Amino acid sequence: MKRILSNKWHIMVFVLPTVLFFSFFVIVPIVLSAYYSLLNWTTKTKPTLEYFVGFRNYIEMFTGKGTSFPRAVGHSLLYAGASVFLQLPFSLFLALLLAKGVKAEGFYQNLYFIPVILSSVVVGQLWRKIYNNDYGLLNLFLRAINVETPKGGWLANKGTRLWATFVPVLWQYVGYHMLLMYGALKSISPDIIEAATVDGASGPTMAFHIQIPLIKPMLKVCLSFSLIGSFKLYDMVKILTDGNIGTEVPATTMYREMFKSHNFGTGSAMAMFIVAECLLFTVLLNALFRERADGRTLRERLSGLFRSAPDALPKGADRP
Amino acid sequence: MRKIVAVMLALVLCLGVMPAMAEQHEEVTLTFGSIWSSESEATRAPFLKTLEEFAEAYPWIHVEVDWNEANAWKDKGDTLASQSAMPDVFYWNAGGILKALVDQDQIMPLNDYLDDETLSRLIDGALANMTFDGKIYGLPYTNACSVLYCNKALFEANNVKIPETWDELKEAVEAFKAAGVTPMTTGGGDRWPTNMLGDILLLRFAGDEVFRKAVFKEEGGTFMDEGLIAGANAFAELVEMGAFPDDVAALTRDESEVPWHEGKIAMYVMGQWEGGNLAGKEDFIAVAFPAVPGVDSANAFMGGPAEEFAVAAYTEHPEEAYLLCQFCAEHLSKNGYISGAGLPCWKADFSEYEDQIASITRQIVALTNEATSFLLWGNTALEGEDSELLMDQTLLLLSGEITGEQFCENMEAIFE
Repeated sequence: MKRILSNKWHIMVFVLPTVLFFSFFVIVPIVLSAYYSLLNWTTKTKPTLEYFVGFRNYIEMFTGKGTSFPRAVGHSLLYAGASVFLQLPFSLFLALLLAKGVKAEGFYQNLYFIPVILSSVVVGQLWRKIYNNDYGLLNLFLRAINVETPKGGWLANKGTRLWATFVPVLWQYVGYHMLLMYGALKSISPDIIEAATVDGASGPTMAFHIQIPLIKPMLKVCLSFSLIGSFKLYDMVKILTDGNIGTEVPATTMYREMFKSHNFGTGSAMAMFIVAECLLFTVLLNALFRERADGRTLRERLSGLFRSAPDALPKGADRP
Repeated sequence: MRKIVAVMLALVLCLGVMPAMAEQHEEVTLTFGSIWSSESEATRAPFLKTLEEFAEAYPWIHVEVDWNEANAWKDKGDTLASQSAMPDVFYWNAGGILKALVDQDQIMPLNDYLDDETLSRLIDGALANMTFDGKIYGLPYTNACSVLYCNKALFEANNVKIPETWDELKEAVEAFKAAGVTPMTTGGGDRWPTNMLGDILLLRFAGDEVFRKAVFKEEGGTFMDEGLIAGANAFAELVEMGAFPDDVAALTRDESEVPWHEGKIAMYVMGQWEGGNLAGKEDFIAVAFPAVPGVDSANAFMGGPAEEFAVAAYTEHPEEAYLLCQFCAEHLSKNGYISGAGLPCWKADFSEYEDQIASITRQIVALTNEATSFLLWGNTALEGEDSELLMDQTLLLLSGEITGEQFCENMEAIFE
């Protein structure tokens, strides 16, 4: 086996199917989209160099008359913000709570994960019913406690429609991030937790100084999923509002531009923007989370600190 | 004796061979992209009957139907077209929506298959919205129009007059509001039902000629016309009066129709196919949308042959696909009329079905017999982004976010 794996040609043979598959289904479509995004391709023209317009589509999607793409990008950034600052902290809170060892831990794990296994269509329809003006649970509850409900309904009112569209997506994926973080928390060596406990760490101190730093790689994964998911959000918005005015996101706008307005060139430019946006934020995240040059991981640094540096103890903690 | 036996054997042989001769057609399977996936769709039953009749007439052609919800099919069809993967035969809208597919070389012209005898069975002008540069890109199965459906029982119970003029419509809205009854509904979230309501208001206030020039972008066409602005303002006024459910802009057509079918809503503007859902329900009647005094548009209608069956340009079985397309268009025209789901656009003798035709369908036929013109719905007549703009702007009117003037100003973008 060792002899086989030491031969580069053998490795190439094993890797080739994946490389071909990845190239054909990921790289080629992206390259083609980039090409189409430079063409004035509509129903009346063909995707040939004869209709090459350079970066005109990229300019028009932001500055063209009546374009809704800038607004859609703004909405996706808002949603990304909500994911990072609301969804992930809440998921982390739940994960820390569960990892602490509550009663019926397994039951809660499954309970929070149920929305993730449901189809977005089901979740979307469910929330449409929750938001319904006449029989929706939300309005029934608010009316019962004499709170005014938004005029025009949650999904149509100018002030609520965008957030009403985001809430179901945030809700659906809380369980997903929670499970990832919970798995990472559970994989922390009990020795470290025990050492920190002996050193007096507990509750928030344990969470902020021991557990969260140790699951940093998983937090990075969650952040990446969350940000990329925000920029390519489509299904739930389509089901809840069909991406109608005031709730459009880049993917729904791109879809309409391509398949309803039949501006395939501009639609491809929007698609390329979404790809570039996802790549950019992935690179930024990587830079943000990059390990220090000394090459030691956080865990190594932390355990080293606990072994040798009393001043590294959490504030207020006493040596036993 | 030997001769008799020989003759009998020959006869038996012939009888054995005859069925084989009759089945000389090659077995063919065609795909059919259809809407009417929901059991509640009035056209579903007559379409199923039509498919049964086709299977009987052409047993060697097998049809695999891809059922879709109407709005979902528009999305799916557009996506399939971008990959040149449309079914062999499929439902599609006429006008600008069809033109977009024609421009993408997705649809087979039917001229080579249609003979004069077949064409003569169509009503006059039936192919106008599906013919481009002399090529026929589909066959209609219904003569569409939108009308105002009224829940007569609610009108009687609340002592409200069925409106015949715009002022009477406003009075009816006020009266129903005062009685705690929702006056009207529409599916704002799906956009096209709202567009149907907006169109008829624009038509009534501006007249056929002005609105036609605008939606077909003809020379001299503009939305900055007094009549069109008045029509858009009338829509805004209805919204302001609270004529619709509070969350109307978020409702899909299906959701908006639930309380209507439950008898909780007084009026509803919808296509003739809604008559199929109301057949046999004596509480409901169909009337022409209220007239606007001083404007010669009282008997002008939105609609005409606006829905069709088309054949994919790349079908592997063009002859069989044409047979299916033509058969379904003509037979659904008849079956749809008998069941109350549509008005016929193919000539046929309906005398033996008189008893079966619902009274609401007869009312619609009587209304359209008086029609002075039929104008294709704006979102169907306009192409691509222009159609999208019209639907978006109408939704904004329904949401109360823009005025009639702003609607018309924004719609001027289609002429740029």
